Amino acid sequence: MIKVGIPRALLYYQYFPAWKTFFEELGAEVVVSSPTTRAMLEGGSARVVADTCLPVKVFLGHVLSLVEECDFVFIPAVRSVQKRIYNCSKFLGLPDMTGAVIPESPPILEVDVDINRGKGELYKSVYRLGRYFTRNPVKVRQAGMAAWQAYLDYREIMPGSKLTPPEAIEMMSGSPWIEQEKDTSQPASEAAIALIGHPYLLYDEYINHRLITRLKQAGYRVVTPEVLTARELESAVDRLVGGAYWTYEGEVVGAGGHYLQSGADGVIGIMAFGCGPDSLMMEAVRRQAAVSGSVPFMCLTIDEHTAEAGVVTRLEAFVDMMQRRKRAGVCV
Amino acid sequence: MRVALPHMGNLYIAFKAAFGRLGVEYIVPPRITRRTMSLAVKYSPEGLCIPFKLTLGNLIEVAELGADTLLMPGGYGTCRLGYYARVQEQILLDMGYNIEMVQMGVSEQKFLGLLRMVKRLANDAPWPQIISAVRFGIKKLSAVDRVERVVQKVRAVEIEKGTANRLYTRAIEAIDEAEDSHALREAEADYTLRLGRVAVDPGACPLIVGVTGEFYVLLEPFSNLDVESELGKLGVEVRRTTFISEWTKFSMFLNPLGIDEKEKIHRAALPYLKRDIGGDGWESIGEKVLHSGEYDGLVHLAPFTCMPEVIARNIMPRTRENLPVLTIICDEQIAKTGMLTRLEAFVDLLERKRRVGNTNKQRVAV
Repeated sequence: MIKVGIPRALLYYQYFPAWKTFFEELGAEVVVSSPTTRAMLEGGSARVVADTCLPVKVFLGHVLSLVEECDFVFIPAVRSVQKRIYNCSKFLGLPDMTGAVIPESPPILEVDVDINRGKGELYKSVYRLGRYFTRNPVKVRQAGMAAWQAYLDYREIMPGSKLTPPEAIEMMSGSPWIEQEKDTSQPASEAAIALIGHPYLLYDEYINHRLITRLKQAGYRVVTPEVLTARELESAVDRLVGGAYWTYEGEVVGAGGHYLQSGADGVIGIMAFGCGPDSLMMEAVRRQAAVSGSVPFMCLTIDEHTAEAGVVTRLEAFVDMMQRRKRAGVCV
Repeated sequence: MRVALPHMGNLYIAFKAAFGRLGVEYIVPPRITRRTMSLAVKYSPEGLCIPFKLTLGNLIEVAELGADTLLMPGGYGTCRLGYYARVQEQILLDMGYNIEMVQMGVSEQKFLGLLRMVKRLANDAPWPQIISAVRFGIKKLSAVDRVERVVQKVRAVEIEKGTANRLYTRAIEAIDEAEDSHALREAEADYTLRLGRVAVDPGACPLIVGVTGEFYVLLEPFSNLDVESELGKLGVEVRRTTFISEWTKFSMFLNPLGIDEKEKIHRAALPYLKRDIGGDGWESIGEKVLHSGEYDGLVHLAPFTCMPEVIARNIMPRTRENLPVLTIICDEQIAKTGMLTRLEAFVDLLERKRRVGNTNKQRVAV
């Protein structure tokens, strides 16, 4: 059976259920890299120029860990998923860059996703991808349809059952333990902290120093962008910046705008150092926080040097300040 | 209404000429200086690139002079640039300037977008008048660019260093002041002649170094600490394919006819990067591949945290075509001494490579 490797990084958190369904429908076996480790980050960082952003370094580390494990690595080039809204260059250059810096990588399966060139082009691109597994276009079509359905289910499950992407992925793959864990892990505290940012930063426990776990252990309810519906995110983006410019603007500006208005007692933004889109998106959220002034906001910029103690100190200071505001009744 | 546009190289000459003919009040911003940089760094979000910061600093300076209609490129694309006008407008409004930001949708509508914008600013003047004014602006820009190409050659071989640069400064002034096409032609001819008379070393066989990278840092000498002049002082002939007049010529006349000036460069980059990643990343790789037999080396300019150029820098060392590349990252921390040391080392390396290469060839011949 052909083994397709999928790095547990970057767009994995957005689309993994769809990818998995697609390749499995075509009779391939899907191999996912294990959660990020120190060795992965170091391996990835060693391959690229220093100012490449952290998530890309992590991604390359995951690809390195898959080198001996699979026959192909799947790396899509996602240019746009909505009309006239584009993605960061890094996502577009990812397949070619990976090939250049990891010459020993298994052959790379690419798919061009660019809605602006029309649906026809997208279908052709998916079909070309399917050709690696079957010559039968009907089978590719069926796999594509099943993948799309899996994606829709995934998107529905998260706001519906209030799950984070890793939890939803676990649940869709049929692990029963997640339900019990969920009940005990969410404390009944009334104070909620919203985390905003791209899922590859929020849910990679290694690079964000177990941020979610830490906040939960400290007794806070943690809310994330994925539990909001697409409509809620979109309306907040419109309110803050008058329409999206970046593909994943909802996770940052949309969620930030929403939680600054309702549903959270404090908002923490997570961004990677040197991230082009986030340098503008976090700025929009920061500006909104300064204007409205009712909910505290903090932005944590992380890179491969971020020391754990530094993150902990800032988190403690933030929650102390949040609590004091709440007691003093400043917070409405 | 007082219109202004932040500096990028000699671009202001074209706008000044065109708006002058249309009777629109156009303010030339102060030259970019350390003050521009200080203002820029103070009011910009920290993670943004040097093109954002310097244009913002320059916009603040020109708003201080009373400009109220500010032009910035905008529109959609994969680079951050399209978003800049929105953020800069917000920052300027917060600072209390009463301004309106006009976005030039150059990335999608190319030249037509520019023409429509000029028409709007000129109070809907008739098309023939607009086209003639814009043509005059472009003529000036082309003249400047032609003189610059001559300067790039003379700089490398002149005996008294700095002569060509002095003439270049005066040539720009003369072209800027030219009232009509006739005066413009005379100014250009005059300075081309004078540049031709500059005393040069007849035996010199200068190294040829290409300069490529992101559009803004390539064309705005302040942002790259005038890397082209510094290379000239080291006796290097600089080649650059990006000129503003070229861009205009192609986007106005040839692209609609299906002639793409960048096709050759893109085709060269194709084996290493299969798609346009926004900005100028694709072109940077293409230039390295395309000119590997022709140049002795390549200086690659990139703003710090520039997304397309980061991809390009990761791919460039892995091309089969071998050409020494020196990447210079431009940001507010860049220092002249550091850059000069690196340039000197790079030029030394290229000279040695040429010497060794020549002796190798001779050996083969013997």
